[in-house]
Amino acid sequence: MILLDIRNLTLEIESNGVLVKALDKVSLSICEKEIRALVGESGSGKSLIVRAISGSLPPQWIITADRLTWRGQNLLKMSKSERQKIMRRDIAVIFQDPQAALDPSVKLGAQFRESIPNEFINSRWWWQQRAEQNRIAWAQLTRVGIKDVKKCLNSYVHELPDDVCQKFMIAMALVSQPTLLIADDPTRGMETSTKRQIMSLCKNLNRHSDLSILFVSHDLLAISSIAHTITVLYSGQTVEDGPFDSVRRKPFHPYSKALLDSAPSFRPELQPKSPLTALKGTIPTLQHLPIGCRLGPRCPRAQKECVNTPVPRTIHKRQYRCHFPLHIDADENLDGKYEGIDV
Amino acid sequence: MSLLSIRNLCYDDAPPWYVLGKKDIFYLGPVNFDVNEGETVSIIGTNNSGKSLLGKLITGAVPKGAGEVLINGIPLNKSNRANSVRMVFSHSSQSLNPGISVGRMLEEPLLLNTKLPPSERFDKIRDTLRLVGLMPDHYYFYKHMLSDGQQQRVALARALILDPKVVVADEPFAALDPSVRSQTVNLLLKLQAELGLAFIFISHNLGIVRHISDRTLVMHNGEVVENAPTQTLFADPQHEASKHLIHAHFAMLKV
Repeated sequence: MILLDIRNLTLEIESNGVLVKALDKVSLSICEKEIRALVGESGSGKSLIVRAISGSLPPQWIITADRLTWRGQNLLKMSKSERQKIMRRDIAVIFQDPQAALDPSVKLGAQFRESIPNEFINSRWWWQQRAEQNRIAWAQLTRVGIKDVKKCLNSYVHELPDDVCQKFMIAMALVSQPTLLIADDPTRGMETSTKRQIMSLCKNLNRHSDLSILFVSHDLLAISSIAHTITVLYSGQTVEDGPFDSVRRKPFHPYSKALLDSAPSFRPELQPKSPLTALKGTIPTLQHLPIGCRLGPRCPRAQKECVNTPVPRTIHKRQYRCHFPLHIDADENLDGKYEGIDV
Repeated sequence: MSLLSIRNLCYDDAPPWYVLGKKDIFYLGPVNFDVNEGETVSIIGTNNSGKSLLGKLITGAVPKGAGEVLINGIPLNKSNRANSVRMVFSHSSQSLNPGISVGRMLEEPLLLNTKLPPSERFDKIRDTLRLVGLMPDHYYFYKHMLSDGQQQRVALARALILDPKVVVADEPFAALDPSVRSQTVNLLLKLQAELGLAFIFISHNLGIVRHISDRTLVMHNGEVVENAPTQTLFADPQHEASKHLIHAHFAMLKV
């Protein structure tokens, strides 16, 4: 069953009197028990999607979508309290940059106790309730691999290192036993062994408690270890979508290829100290978005047609938006004959 | 003789009046290693293993406890270290001053360390900006007008402007996006080939470490526990700490 279904989500921001499309027809869906990776560079709108789902965008930004539904309920038409209820129990969000997302003026223990849903506390008296809350906190924090739980609960955010805060955020998100976990760059700045620990935690939760995960990141190594499906985002447009393994083996979109090539870990045949393949230039700013395919000016395969926005095309389980995809013969592509392709 | 030699470098964060129990003091070292010209040495390790601290000790950003840092056999001190060893700090976006333009930011090291007249300083800044792949016009830009990758380049330019022999870079790629990261890696490799720079990288990203470095040091609890050529280390780590890190890396790759 599809949990979260987003179709043609468009987000417009007014800048100097002009409406800029920060997100342009983004489509994304997450099924039950699925781990979907959302990959893109900073400024590509990953975090905007997360915030659009969680409803924490400023009200003056214009969101339009053909579908933005949670288990069939339209999130955009919902009243604020209904939406908050879903956000509190079903969807948990780990925001980017824990140091900034956590309250700097309250001890972490108090913040954690606040995030425990009332239904989990059965005791009658406040001291019993408090003991129960503490028990839950200890269990959760130990589970995510925080060693000095006592110190963590009695500290303020600024007193703890980044990775402990990050783990704390994960523990806080998981305490309400959500159905969907949205993790916005959870492995940023983590060392390899901690990263692996977090990844295996996510994997176990996915396997044993049927947690779906939307994993927003640009850390391809972490993604490769858990993701089932991947959505590649470039500058507010989805460029490719499909099962991770097949995308990794044969990326259709030039940008997906560039992204995969940028991780030397995936290319054991690469000579040490040889230059890496990289696209020229940087991701365009919102004020200077190119028309048509937004990769156009940087794309090595760009031609005249690229000034028109490519429509999404589907082959097997994969979707891409490109006029001149890799690994697909151009003529076949135009005729719509997709059968002979091994994906 | 090697370009940079580190001999018995030690550090502890105990205050001078500290006489009671020695529980919470962080001890580093003694550290010994050499870096040759044109060589890239990476330092890997878990958090709190003293990687960044070692980098800061080498550049002199943190005063060292004991030991010596030698450049071509000459010990580094306050007067000569800025011209030979420079540092690119982690979180380059936070290490840039938001209140002054890129040009003035780059001018400061020149003002403090050289006796160049203003016109030559200006030329030097423009040359350095071009060297790291920015435009001379970026002289007048402020931090907030630049993208992450460009900020990283400015941080690099600030390190390179005094023509150092060794550049210590603390997590230079951590905050960068994949495609910009590849560009930066290429830039560093190019600069190394052109200028014969020696790099000391402090990084978590073992994929990149494996790609760019000649030797790798593994740090654990303030000590260098392993120092080996990168390919040897990745193929056959000896110490427990290195095994832990490298196996975790490969486990993520394979699963």
